[in-house]
This record gives sequence, C-alpha cells and structure tokens, in this order.
Amino acid sequence: MTTTENINDGATATVDTDIVLDVQDLNVTFSSEDGPLRAVRGVSYRVRRGEALGIVGESGSGKSVTSMAIMGLLPKTAKVSGSARVLGQEVIGLNDAQISKVRGDKIAMIFQDPLTSLNPVYTIGYQIAEAVLTHRKVTKQQARARAVELLDKVGIPHPDRRVDQYPHELSGGMRQRVVIAIAMANDPDVIIADEPTTALDVTVQAQVLEALETARKETGAALVLITHDLGVVAGHVDRVAVMYAGRLVETGTVEDVFYRPRMPYALGLLGSLPRMDEARSEKLTPILGTPPSLLDLPAGCGFAPRCPMAQDVCFTTEPALEAAVDGDDPDPFRRHTAACHFGEQLVDARPEDLFQATAPAAETAAGPDGTGGAEAAGHGGERTDAAPPEVLLSAVDLVKNFPIRSKGILRRKIGEVQAVSGISLELREHETLALVGESGCGKSTTARLLLQLIRQTSGEVTYMGQPLHSLSDAQMRPLRRDLQLVFQDPFASLDPRMTVSDIVAEPMQIHGRGKGAKQRVKELLELVGLNPEHGSRYPHEFSGGQRQRIGIARALSLNPKVLILDEPVSALDVSIQAGVINLLEDLQDELGLSYLFVSHDLSVVRHIADRVAVMYLGKIVETGTTEELFSAPAHPYTQALISAIPLPDPVKERTRERIVVTGDVPSPADPPSGCRFRTRCPKFANDLSDEQRNLCVEEPPDLLDRGTGHRDACHYSQVVELI
Amino acid sequence: MLVYTARRLAVAIPVLLAASVLVFLMVDLSGDPLSDLRMQQPPPSEEVIAAAEARYYLDRSIPERYWLWMTGIGGNGDIGLLQGQFGPSVRGGAFDIGEELSDSIYVTIRLVTAAIIAALGLAVLSGVVSAMRQYSKLDYTLTFIGFLALAMPTFWLGALIKEGGLWFNQTTGTGFFFTIGANSARVSNMTGWEYFLDSAGHLVLPTITLMLTSFAAWSRYQRTSMLEVLNSDYVRLARAKGVPNRVVVRRHALRTALIPLVTVATIGVVGIIEGVVITETIFQWRGLGYFFIEAVKAQDAFAIMSWLMLSGTLVVLANLVADILYGVLDPRIRYE
Repeated sequence: MTTTENINDGATATVDTDIVLDVQDLNVTFSSEDGPLRAVRGVSYRVRRGEALGIVGESGSGKSVTSMAIMGLLPKTAKVSGSARVLGQEVIGLNDAQISKVRGDKIAMIFQDPLTSLNPVYTIGYQIAEAVLTHRKVTKQQARARAVELLDKVGIPHPDRRVDQYPHELSGGMRQRVVIAIAMANDPDVIIADEPTTALDVTVQAQVLEALETARKETGAALVLITHDLGVVAGHVDRVAVMYAGRLVETGTVEDVFYRPRMPYALGLLGSLPRMDEARSEKLTPILGTPPSLLDLPAGCGFAPRCPMAQDVCFTTEPALEAAVDGDDPDPFRRHTAACHFGEQLVDARPEDLFQATAPAAETAAGPDGTGGAEAAGHGGERTDAAPPEVLLSAVDLVKNFPIRSKGILRRKIGEVQAVSGISLELREHETLALVGESGCGKSTTARLLLQLIRQTSGEVTYMGQPLHSLSDAQMRPLRRDLQLVFQDPFASLDPRMTVSDIVAEPMQIHGRGKGAKQRVKELLELVGLNPEHGSRYPHEFSGGQRQRIGIARALSLNPKVLILDEPVSALDVSIQAGVINLLEDLQDELGLSYLFVSHDLSVVRHIADRVAVMYLGKIVETGTTEELFSAPAHPYTQALISAIPLPDPVKERTRERIVVTGDVPSPADPPSGCRFRTRCPKFANDLSDEQRNLCVEEPPDLLDRGTGHRDACHYSQVVELI
Repeated sequence: MLVYTARRLAVAIPVLLAASVLVFLMVDLSGDPLSDLRMQQPPPSEEVIAAAEARYYLDRSIPERYWLWMTGIGGNGDIGLLQGQFGPSVRGGAFDIGEELSDSIYVTIRLVTAAIIAALGLAVLSGVVSAMRQYSKLDYTLTFIGFLALAMPTFWLGALIKEGGLWFNQTTGTGFFFTIGANSARVSNMTGWEYFLDSAGHLVLPTITLMLTSFAAWSRYQRTSMLEVLNSDYVRLARAKGVPNRVVVRRHALRTALIPLVTVATIGVVGIIEGVVITETIFQWRGLGYFFIEAVKAQDAFAIMSWLMLSGTLVVLANLVADILYGVLDPRIRYE
C-alpha cells in the first residue's frame, strides 16, 4: 500500500514487501494426443498481504490449473512458462526439494473434495502434525499440541479427542475444516482455496467459509479463492478476476465487476444466474453456445463466438486486458481492467440488453423459432389466482425405511434408516412443485417413491385418483407414459453406445409406439433446442447442457403429464444452466407439463417453482407458494437455508441478516426425538426457555398453517424477512 | 485390534470344518482304496479283505467314518485329526502319515516362504518403480518381463531354469547352482552354517521358478494401485503440505497402495501351493508336492485327506494373516 508508484511499472525490480504473490504471464500447455492444449494463457495477477482475491470461471477456464502451476503440482506432461513469485521468490521451475520448502510453509492450498483430500489410513492429528513437522523443528508432542490448537481454531468441537480420529469418522464439513487447519499450520502468507465448499451442503458451506475467514485472520494470509459460485465470491473477497478460456478477461474490485462489468462474458454470467432475491417473472438470459476448445482456440477474442456484440475485429484480434473506461483508480491493485474491444459500450448495460432470454431452439442457433420464450408470460404468482387446477400426483403419509444390515454372511437387520417418514404432498396440473433440502434429507427417495421405482414402507401414492401403491409392475407400466424422469448427471444417464435418436426413441419402442418414431424424434430434438440432424451422433459428441436436453427429449417422447426432475441442472455450469432452466419453463408453457423439481439450490427453485416443500431428515418442515416461502419463511431451518445461500451481490450479501446453524445433519438411522431439527436449531439454542424447549424435545411438530399463510412444522414458528 | 483379530479367528473355525466335510466326501467318493487288494490274483480270502476293511475303517458308514476321522473316538488309536492322528496308511504300518507329513512340511515351507517373500518384494518394487516412471523405458521393460513371466507355464519354465542352471554349471565347470533336492546328500555331517548355506543354495532355482508367475501378476496389480494412489487427492494434499516427493511416496502412497495387493496376494497363495507340486517334481524335492503325488499313486485315502486338510489350513491361515494385515494397514476396516 505504501509503494504503489513503484508497482505502476510492473517491470521495475522494486520488491514491494506487501506483495505476497506475484504472477506474471503464466502459461500452461498440456500435450495431448490431439495436439497442444493451452489451458492457461498469459495470466498475470498480484495479491497483497491479507487481501482476498476471487478467481471466477466455469469448468475448463483454467482457474484451477493456474494455481496448481503456482504450487508445482501439475503432472510432468504440463509445460509451464512465465513467472510466479511468492514473497519475491520465483517458484516456477523449482525442483521438488526446493518447492517443497515453499509449499505448506509460505503458500498453502485447500482442495475441493474433503472426502478424498485426507489420507484414510492416518489420523487427522498425524496429518496436521505432519505439515508442522515438515517445516518446523519441533518435537512430535509440540506438533500434536499445535494440531489440537488448530482444530479448535477451525471450529471442531472436542479437538483433543478428534485429533486421534481417522478421516472416515468425520463428516464432510469437518474434514474440510481439517484441510483448512493443515493449510493454517505454518502461518502461510498465501492460502489458495480451490472450490473449497463446492462439494458441501449450503448450511455446511456457510460454516466452512467462516472457518476459512478465521484462517485468514489468524494467519494474516492472503486468500486466493477459486470458485464458480458468484455468490461465494460476492461475500468473501475484495477483488475478483474472471477467467475465460485460459485467460483473465476482467479484474477489479467486487463492486466494479458485479455492478459495472466491462466484459460481455462477466455481464452474461451475472444475467444467467438465477437469483434468490429476484422475483420469478424475470427470465434468465443464458450465454449461448459453449466455451471454445482449448485445443483449437479462435484467433480473436475467445468469447467472440458467443458474444452478441462481437464485431469483425473481435474474431481477428484478441483484446488485451486493459484499464476499463472507468478504471481510473490510482491504486493499480484496485484498478478495473477488462479484455474487450468494446468495453465502453457496456456502461450502464443490463444483461437483458445484450443477451436474449432464449427460445427453445436457441442452442442450435438454427434460426428463430415461433415459441418466443420471453413473451410466454403468465409465470409465478398469477397462476395461483385462477381456480385451483386438478391434482395429478399426490402422496399421503409416505414412509420409506431402508434396513441397515450387519456385516458378514448373516446380514441380520440391525436397524433402520428412515429416509422418508410421513410425507404428504400434492402436485397439481401445470405447476412446478420444488422439493428442497440438503443431501440425505430424503428428497430423491421421495421422487423415486412417487414414480414407484421403489416401493414405500407405508403410505399412499395416487395418480389422477388412481392408487399406484397397490399396482403391480405390469399394471404400472402404461401409467409410466404419463410419469417421466430426468436425471441429475447428464453424462451417466445416457447410454454411450446408443445414438441420440435411439436414446430418444427407446421409450416409444418400449411402449409400442415405434411407428413414426423417427419423425417424432426429430420433432423432439427440435423442441429441446437441438439440431434434429444430429440424431445419428453419440452422446459424447455433445456438451453437458446439450446432453441434459437429450435427457429431457427422452422424457418427453411419450407425451408425459408429469416430469420428475432430480437435480436437473446441478451438474451444469452457470451459463449453460440458464438455458436449460429456460427450456424447462418454455416446455411447461407449451405442453402444459407438471414438474416435481428436486433440488438443493434455492436460487434455482425460486426461479422455477410455483410451490416449494422444504425437507429435513425425511420430513417436510415447511411448504407454501414460492413467494410466501421466500418472503416470509417461518421455520428456522428454511430461514437458515435461505440465509446460507450466498447472493451474487456484494452489498446485499455483506449486509444481510444471517441465521446460522451449527453442526451436521444427524444420522437418519437415529433421528432426534420430537422436532428433528432441534439439535441444530438456532431458535432452540438461543431464544427458547427450558420450558418451551420441552415441547420441541417431546412433541414432533405437525405441518400446520400457523397464521403465516402457509404451512410449517415448528412449534414456535415466526416469520422472518431475510431477503 | 484384538477384538478384530479374535473375530477373524472365530470365523476361521467353521470354514475349516466345512472344508473337512468337503475333503472327506470328495476323497471318500472318488474310489476304493482297497481296489488293488481285491484285484489280486489269486483273490485273497474273504477274511483278509474283511480284516483290511476293518483296519481302514471301511466297514463303517460314511458319517461314522467322518466322525472317526475327525475325533478318533471308537477307533484303534491310529485315527482322529483332533488327537493328532492322521489315520492308517495303505502303504503299511511303517508309513506314518503324520511323521511323513511333518518332514515334508519342513522341506516345503522353506520354498513357499522364500517364494512368497521374493514375489511380494519384487512385485512391490517393480510396481512402484513402474508407476513412478509411467510410460518410461523402464516401465515398458518391466511390463514386458511381467507379461512374459505370466505367459509361461510353470512346468515348462521350471524345466528351462533347471536346464539353464545345469548349462551354467557345465560351462563354468563349477557346481554353482544346485538342481536336485532340497539339500545335498552329505547333509548329516555339516555344521549349522554349512547346512544353512547348502539349504539356501538349493533354494535358489526352485524359488525363482515358483515365484515368477505370482511376481508377474502381483507387480501388475501393484503398478495399477500405485498409479491410482499417486493421482489421488490426498497425495496431492501431502505434496501441497511441502512433504518431499520421496517421503510422500513412501508414507502416503505406498501404504494405501499395498491394501489391494494384500487381497490379491492372499488368493495367490493358493496358486503357489499348487505350483509347489510341479516345482518340487522338477527339482526332485521330497516335500509336500512329492508327498501328495505318492499318496495319489498309492490311493492312500488318509494321506490324501491329510494333505488336503493341511493345504486348506494353510489357505485359511493366509487369509487370516491378510485380514490382520488389512486391519494394520487400513483403520477403516479395523473399526467396523
């Protein structure tokens, strides 16, 4: 902060002691069978002591490869050039012995998946102590004491006992804290966190992000936070760098990038993001197409093929990362830069000025399609005003227990997991009901019960007045035409050895409607926005978003009335996800479908659902129209969920009220008595008297309307405004 | 860990019992041990045959015989596994099955142990080296050697190795390789040290023969599992901690990569016990392999059953050792 004049000229040898990480013109190329793959191209950035820089990008943008290159963790097949200095010391090109002295001492890293990041055969205490012992001359006892101290700091209860446990004895959130503790072990100057919360549930994500903040404060380290989640970035960093196709395309303070983006890609990302704080009527504006192949990069701007304002020059000359029109901040660290020939045109632009809310056929860019999505209004609350539509699919007191069996040959039943315990819900004609909850809450099991893919332990499932639970598989088959399923993973749910046409036609053949299937497949592909000529291709030739469209086409092939969508967009990148969400909305309007939308992502749910049911440990804890539920959540769990979802808006995200839950979800094999949420409930812990608590412990609350306009299952429900 | 071991031991007992029933039934149903006697010309008298039947308990029912074979209760004192009696041999009273068996074990156990240790050691070494230098010339060479060894049948490879040893001795005019027997003939007047050297010398060629196939298979497994672990997130995190590569490989990669090898090697022990029959025949050892072949030739039912029970026990023991090793290597198993 003191010698800003010197850094103005990046080439001067002046060492600013405040700069802890200085990356200059970093390039990474992998050699592949198809030629050189240019993963990172000319990335330069600096991070000052104690500062937090967010690096944002979609999969394949090179954001992880950049940091792996700095850490020297790339495989030998990767060619790395350029410079990266940690506290002035060059780290690119060091041998193993040299870089080992820097790694874990001056610069530490946190990885994405806490379930695989720790060695299963050593105790967590050993793994933390190892980090200390590698760099410090201390005794084993001292290292162990430090491990206990670190575990305490990252918020692990009973650290003196936990220290001797193995990773498999800890939950995912706990393990990620252990990884953070390892990163903190030697008070590093830089901590690189690569998608540190992506694999975690939202309420746990909030806890882990807090632990990460603690780590920063305790060590005074600078943080490089790599993520695809714009919400996480908005709340936790000072500056943002956006990566696309291996390059930095925009940098600046969070406010600059979120409120005044000067690169169409950044603007497009923000526009394609479903937001929890926006009403449903607003249509998302996806970015069309897919990122360029890193094997065959275009000559000009990497984003030009997807950019609605691209001109000829964009296809021939790659724009440099230069100060944006308003990038006149004297402090070069805070200066707003963007790589766009026409950045000044984006002043005051909104995403919808530039990007179109897509019609279904947009993915192929094959020309206009009559079903113009933007005009297809009639979303959201309006529909509820009409006479209540017919109930299509309903469940009453649905229960599903899975047996826990002993190990060994006898496999005795030694207990039960209550995956779903007493759920009632109704899906009406032409509506979207969202089933929301964290992993293990029973939402997917409920979806499968409704389809009768698994049979319930007790309870009833009815479709159009006909009870499904008593039907045999053969009797069920004709009804399956009406009830179709779309899966989460677009890669695993399509047979790689079948052509797209065969995949889409298969349900028709099974149901004896093979005649005319060829024509129907073409219609379906066109309907979901794919080029009907591509039917003879195989799934691997398509991108994730396109494959999900194939899965939707398959589900639609029998003209179903109900689609059960199990996390249909959670595996997709933001810019692609928006297109699929729009497609689902358009299809619903056009075909009059009903959706049961299973999701953990409240932002997406807010955008797509008419009604929401929130699940916790096998029970519905709150249900109501989307508007009611988001504007006036009454159950503490719903409130915690809503406040845990980061908003992609720096000011709102940093000023909003938070309701934080602690700990992990209890085992469904042994749920707490009374209200199942009480063990984590902030209200139970902070606001209730002992007398009031007795009720929570003894009496399971019923799902009732308690004067809030919708139903919740809390003895002491109270509406809180959170957004 | 103690509870874990005890539980594994408890499981071994019913397995051995089941094995004994199977062994007994299969041998019992496979032929009449007295067929030679009955075919003699002139035919022996009824009394002689009856006496022989009584001597070998053939006059009892099948369940009775099994009971006798296991417990010896109601027998002539020469039968009952639980009493340490292996039953009467058809090769006459001078042939004590128990004594012969223990002599054979002493010979064979050296060979089997040496082969397992050599195969495991070399497999781990070559697997680790191959994995760390994936797609290098060294990796390709080791892979080639592995597949070559896998492709060659033991009986042919063994003969080849023996010939090679003989050829070496001839060309150099020395007795460098021992190609016959487990020890030299003049073993009785050797000192302890001389005896050890002599035994070790005789072990060299048979061990190589016996271990090659197992080594080849195991090194492939070790390479694969090592590669998987080297690319794992926790190895990456260990590097990110600043642990030098050498230590990461030893401490974090090797230990977890050994876990799948334990499974494979346990199954492989059965193969080694099979292979020992062939190897001992080639190198003319009087070990378990020789014992088995002679017993089959003589239709010596009790000897065959004893041998089968012994190999069954060895396999169960190998599994037990593997289970305990699992527990040592992988805490997740220990706690279940």
